[in-house]
Amino acid sequence: MAQYDEAVDGVFVALADPTRRSVIRRLGRGPTSVGELAGGFPMTLPSFMKHVRTLESNGLIRTVKVGRVRTCVLNRERLALVDDWLAEQRATWEERTDRLESLVGELMEEDQ
Amino acid sequence: MNPELDLVVERVIRAPRAVVWSAWTEPSRFARWWVPAPTVCRVDRLEVRPGGGLVTRMSDDGATFVPHLDASFVVAEELERIVFTNTIDSSWHPTNPTPIAMTAEVTFADHPDGTAYRIVVRHGDPASRKLHEEIGFADGWGSVTAQLAEVAESEVAR
Repeated sequence: MAQYDEAVDGVFVALADPTRRSVIRRLGRGPTSVGELAGGFPMTLPSFMKHVRTLESNGLIRTVKVGRVRTCVLNRERLALVDDWLAEQRATWEERTDRLESLVGELMEEDQ
Repeated sequence: MNPELDLVVERVIRAPRAVVWSAWTEPSRFARWWVPAPTVCRVDRLEVRPGGGLVTRMSDDGATFVPHLDASFVVAEELERIVFTNTIDSSWHPTNPTPIAMTAEVTFADHPDGTAYRIVVRHGDPASRKLHEEIGFADGWGSVTAQLAEVAESEVAR
């Protein structure tokens, strides 16, 4: 559960930046080389590479190097974590309410 | 209510409102249900009044405690309603909560069987959800792998 939370947190952190969101959007159309991606952003290649590494370390993309070209590929499964997220929140609150209910039951017995 | 972002939990709890309210507002009682066992919860602050702090820590081994929640109460109406948010911490600093900003509203009402207990949790709109819709997931893994293979093969062919 904690691992799952960390993964979701990582996805949100990675997606909190407009450049990184653009990269994800672009990769949604298919794998693209770093050079081609970087060309679309007004920043130096080292700055752009930092974003790529953030996306990669949070599991949102994979990069594959063939010869001198590094290609980025979207990890759709990781992005799907965000989809499950509301269901996850609901489960947390439902379970919390279960526990409240059973504690209240215990308190009622203690009072009698 | 935005069904995409908000959630509602409703329950009839077989106990008078005062008992349910005390489970929410007395630190020793609150600590017994706030986090799932075997994790131990420590309540640092449970000041159920507008502007009061809600600070909890948790521990898996009962010895080392890590931060769990640092939030503020927005509304507190005795036996009626509690609202708290993690967007303002207990020292009233604006926060940037992960994974998401939320406000939880808890209402207590009389019910023939005890207490009608209702939670509405309202969430901020993380950019990632919008992004998700934009990207769409019509094509799955297969096509991505195929595209990657194509890219790799064309590179090798050069």
